[in-house]
Amino acid sequence: MTIFWATTFVVFFLLNRGIWIFTDVSKSLSMFMLEKALGPPIDFVEGRNGAASTTWIIQGALWLIPASILTFCGLWLQHDPDALHSLSSWGLSPSSSSLILAGILTASYGSGGMLLNGAAMHIVPELGGTKLASEKNASLMSLIWTLAVVVLIIGANKPEILGIKVLLIATGLLLLSGLAVIVNMLLTAASRSRKMPLPAWMMIIGMIAGPLSAVSVVISGSLDTGTGQWLATRLSASSFSLMVAGAVLYAASRGSGNPLWSRSLAAVTLAGTILTINSGGFFDGEVAANFLGVDSAAFQPSRNEVIAGSFLLALSLIPAIALSANVLATMRGDDVFMENPDSPGMPEINLAAIMLVPLSIGALFVHTDHLTGTNQFTEIQTTLLLMGVWLIFVPASLGSTLCIFPEVSGRNVLSVNRSRWAFWLMTAGSFGLIFTMMSDFSEMSLAEVSVEEQAPISNRLKVLGSILFYGTVIGSIYHCLNMISGSFRGSIVGDDSASVSSTSISSPFRLTKETTVRKILAQREGKLDTVVIPEKTTEAPGSPTEL
Amino acid sequence: MSDGGSSLIGEFLQGESEPPSSWVLLVLGFVSTIIFLILYGILFPNSDLPVISTVLPVFDGVFDSGIWFFILGAMIGVFAILGTMLTEATSE
Repeated sequence: MTIFWATTFVVFFLLNRGIWIFTDVSKSLSMFMLEKALGPPIDFVEGRNGAASTTWIIQGALWLIPASILTFCGLWLQHDPDALHSLSSWGLSPSSSSLILAGILTASYGSGGMLLNGAAMHIVPELGGTKLASEKNASLMSLIWTLAVVVLIIGANKPEILGIKVLLIATGLLLLSGLAVIVNMLLTAASRSRKMPLPAWMMIIGMIAGPLSAVSVVISGSLDTGTGQWLATRLSASSFSLMVAGAVLYAASRGSGNPLWSRSLAAVTLAGTILTINSGGFFDGEVAANFLGVDSAAFQPSRNEVIAGSFLLALSLIPAIALSANVLATMRGDDVFMENPDSPGMPEINLAAIMLVPLSIGALFVHTDHLTGTNQFTEIQTTLLLMGVWLIFVPASLGSTLCIFPEVSGRNVLSVNRSRWAFWLMTAGSFGLIFTMMSDFSEMSLAEVSVEEQAPISNRLKVLGSILFYGTVIGSIYHCLNMISGSFRGSIVGDDSASVSSTSISSPFRLTKETTVRKILAQREGKLDTVVIPEKTTEAPGSPTEL
Repeated sequence: MSDGGSSLIGEFLQGESEPPSSWVLLVLGFVSTIIFLILYGILFPNSDLPVISTVLPVFDGVFDSGIWFFILGAMIGVFAILGTMLTEATSE
């Protein structure tokens, strides 16, 4: 942990102060490596402004579909293990756990990872008052990242092919693509023309924290121990959390038209996420071990490690509460209700901010149970992790990018109505996991009283949970259709012809209380020629109209 | 946004010049199929349907779980996205 903290602060210091006289040399060399050194492939991708961000966001949205389908199949196989046995004729024998693992990895790296990287490619240049250093390289790297996610899915179902550890290949591809994106971001940050607000720093440090966590664990020599592998998982969760925090804070402010509620809370989120042990992500270190190509070790923490770990885990609630409060207060502005609750992305961010605190508390209990070796909550680990992914991580990253999408692609999503439907389908589907968790609790209770037979009620709840989760599959398909169609023929952002003045006049913006021009513009209908009509009430008695 | 616009343009693969009485043909097709099946049952009792009876066993053991209906629905969604991408990219 100490090595991770030290390296993170050194990186943060170097980013702000430069690398002495080597700064210019490293900048030009990095730029050469990003574009010219790649030769002909770099000419196959588009280099216009916002192209990289759009490419990453569209691919991230598309990965939502396999992620939700894999998770759905995994949930189904929990109550019907032989449902996909006919695939054995193709040499495939998927199990519930392997499908759920593949679903979580696809949602984390394919969907969330790509959406957040795409968001960062817009947020960092935007807040720094500059342009992305290399749009072409960023677009090209999205293809390598996508390839890595395909390898991840294969690796989750077949960890070793011909003696080669498949997840290690995925790590290599993710590292290759991720390092190029990090260099791109650093070059962008180096060319900033103004002081960058905290959300941009969160995204940059979040990106760097991923590989840095693995390096820290390797340097500390604890990679092949259970505690080291557990810590590597926790630190990579911090990396994702920082990126999510940066994206939602930016999108909550941008989407609602309200300024960020508290800079202090944003700073608490940044510092707290780095300094504490994150409760998000996998509960054990097995996946981290597979990612790094080492054998999984038994988790046997010492007494001091248990005390320090529990303390730092408990402290992780502080940045979670700070983030949730900051996002919710920013979205509501100076009144009780959100002014544009139907705008694409806003409901998703709202849901993620609301669910962040209760699920973090739940994860804290289960982590402490795992850390202390009590292991009474082992049964609900997977379901709780799925809830974290589908009720916090995916809505937060998807909601942020839905807010950003019009700015980067130049077009709005095709239909607000379809976006709202997709949100409700995905949310209802993900809440179906509550039934799966009820089933887990039922099985735990039966195991406690040593009942060997599976209770029918537990199986029925699992059926209900998996069928409800199908809503998430349909919702993700709806979102993808909406974004893809929108990128082709959604209304053009800032196009004067689209804001026909008759629309503004026939449905004017009714002003019920004092407001700012920014808030009016934030209501997507609001344009410079929007007619603003003050609503007046009076206590004066009526009288005949004077002619 | 373009809620109104999308309903005017049509989502994708939508025939906009469909004759209003085309439903008559659909009903006729459906009724004649039913009549054919009934007649076949009367004329050749206890005989399997040609072609169909040889194709169906291929899927034996495949669709023996309810999950396949859900997967079928998801596949329709995936193909809808592919169809949307193709039609959007090729339309003017």
